[in-house]
Amino acid sequence: MWDQVHVIFNRAAGRIVENIANFLPGVVVLLALLVLALVTAVIVRVVLYRLLRGLDFDRWAARSGMAMLIDWSPNRSPALLVARAVQWMILALGLLAGLSALDAAMPSYFAMTVFRYIPNLLAAVIILVLGDLLARFLARSVLISAVNMQIQVARVLSVGVKWLVLIMAGTMALEQVGLGRQILLLAFGILFGGIVLAMALAVGLGSKDAVSRTLDRQLRGTADHRTDDIDHV
Amino acid sequence: MPDADRAAAVAPIVVGIGTYNNAGTIAAIARAVRDGLCRDFSVRDSRIVLADGGSTDGTPDLVREALGDAAGRLVQVGYPLHPVDLFDAPYHGLPGRGRALAAILGAARELGAQVCTVLDANAEGLAPGWLAALIRPVLDDAFDFVAPYYARAPHEGALTRSIVYPVFRALYGVRIRQPMAGDFSCSGRLVEHFLGQEGWQDGARAVGVDIWTTTAAVCGGFRLCEVALGARRHETRGDAPDLSMTIVQVVGALFAGAERRAEFWQRVRGSSAVPVFGQPTEAGDGSPIEIGRLIEAFRLGHRELRDVWAAVLPPATGVALNRLAQADRPSFAMDDDLWARIIYDFAIGHRLRVLPADHLLRALTPLYLGWLAAFLEQAGTAGAAAVEERIERLSLAFERQKPYLISRWRWPERFNA
Repeated sequence: MWDQVHVIFNRAAGRIVENIANFLPGVVVLLALLVLALVTAVIVRVVLYRLLRGLDFDRWAARSGMAMLIDWSPNRSPALLVARAVQWMILALGLLAGLSALDAAMPSYFAMTVFRYIPNLLAAVIILVLGDLLARFLARSVLISAVNMQIQVARVLSVGVKWLVLIMAGTMALEQVGLGRQILLLAFGILFGGIVLAMALAVGLGSKDAVSRTLDRQLRGTADHRTDDIDHV
Repeated sequence: MPDADRAAAVAPIVVGIGTYNNAGTIAAIARAVRDGLCRDFSVRDSRIVLADGGSTDGTPDLVREALGDAAGRLVQVGYPLHPVDLFDAPYHGLPGRGRALAAILGAARELGAQVCTVLDANAEGLAPGWLAALIRPVLDDAFDFVAPYYARAPHEGALTRSIVYPVFRALYGVRIRQPMAGDFSCSGRLVEHFLGQEGWQDGARAVGVDIWTTTAAVCGGFRLCEVALGARRHETRGDAPDLSMTIVQVVGALFAGAERRAEFWQRVRGSSAVPVFGQPTEAGDGSPIEIGRLIEAFRLGHRELRDVWAAVLPPATGVALNRLAQADRPSFAMDDDLWARIIYDFAIGHRLRVLPADHLLRALTPLYLGWLAAFLEQAGTAGAAAVEERIERLSLAFERQKPYLISRWRWPERFNA
């Protein structure tokens, strides 16, 4: 009997050793890939940071109105934020590559799923960044135009336009990553429709006297001798 | 150019008019040109060049009809209009003006003109004597460029008086009161010089082609003079741009020209007057302007656009503007040196692309209205001599602040500090 137990233990131990032996190369590859990714990430971070500093990226970001980028940046340096983001991206890719090297079903499946998800994530980030830029550009454009038209609520219009564009960009980004798609679209539709309806009611009912006075003033024209009627050149 | 004209291509005097749907004014202008040529010159020695961009209101036919017997002297040339020319109405009212001017100058060169006079098709009340006044300095006194000197009411031409003239004078050292006029004369050799330059007929430069021609004449070392032409009136067109768009086009052209000619104007010190032919006259006071509304427009701009202004104006200027916004009407006065520094800071901001050019220049509108309010408050009811003296003080301030501009231009890292 003890011989049988001995044989069973030997077989089990052999299988365990065999499994470990099959698994170990994958682990070694995983560790090697992680180390390589770490070294690469650090080198790329340093080089990229110096390159962006040399190109005066921080000042360009400030002038381009990328306030979101500045607010989230460590030491208020967008160059450092971009460099660190690239560093962590390389580390994440290295980890995923290492996981896919393991001859195990679940880690490989997880890695492939994440790899397939990356383009959507990148698209969402791009949508958010472009949306922020567009929101600030349009807000400033509306503000300046409204002030030049001597509209007293210029700031309100500008903020409204900015948040409208930001909400649209946020909705598109979340839709891109597939989070709460149905609820998001419904909520956005209700919100947007509600805003438009409220504005229509406000103009139609609540502000009709003000609109009438404004239109009357603009149509009267010559009696007020608007600045636009003067030959300024 | 038609072969018949090319065969008789010797015309010492060429009068050029660029048109695009100018049926309201062109007949009177054509008659004034015909009468002016008949009265003071020989019609035989002159040609009238009409550069039309494809008018749909019968403008060329009206010109022929108005010229009558002199229609044989008419040379009609076309110039291409691109869709982008019609997108934003130009302040001078002629879409594709750069190409129209190129067509006129090209025809003048082919005709062997000694003098080419360009007239604005939107002008009203063009007296025949204007033509002789613009032509004689070139024919008789060998000047190369003749600019008009209009008699204007205190509130007219305020953009020219407050920004264009002082900046042009400070940068290029020449006192031309109307450097962006649509009416001017140039000699044959200056025509050759213009046509030898590249890139001015098209694109964004073409809107401000008038300042380009004056600047090219100054920087090319040509002889300039002014001629007093009396009051200037223009047809009020329904498609005329609003004030902020006018500022974008006019001041944008001025700043763009400064960027291209930086090497020239940084060496210029002071300014010198040019000869003036004729006796400048006084214009009337014009219609009253509500100064209170101008001040309110400035205060609204100060309240809402401070953040935008802070992108180009240093903190010290911001403090001065704060004080001005809180001043009551009797003490509402903008210091000349402050105004000069504001304009120079906007010029540098335009060069450094701190903001999109459209946003930057539109944001200048409330500041300009504030200056206009302060100017009219001080000089609105004074005579022409007092207004002239006021503008002279302002221009000297721009010349005084030129080192401020040069230092910030050369060392942009000091900008906005």
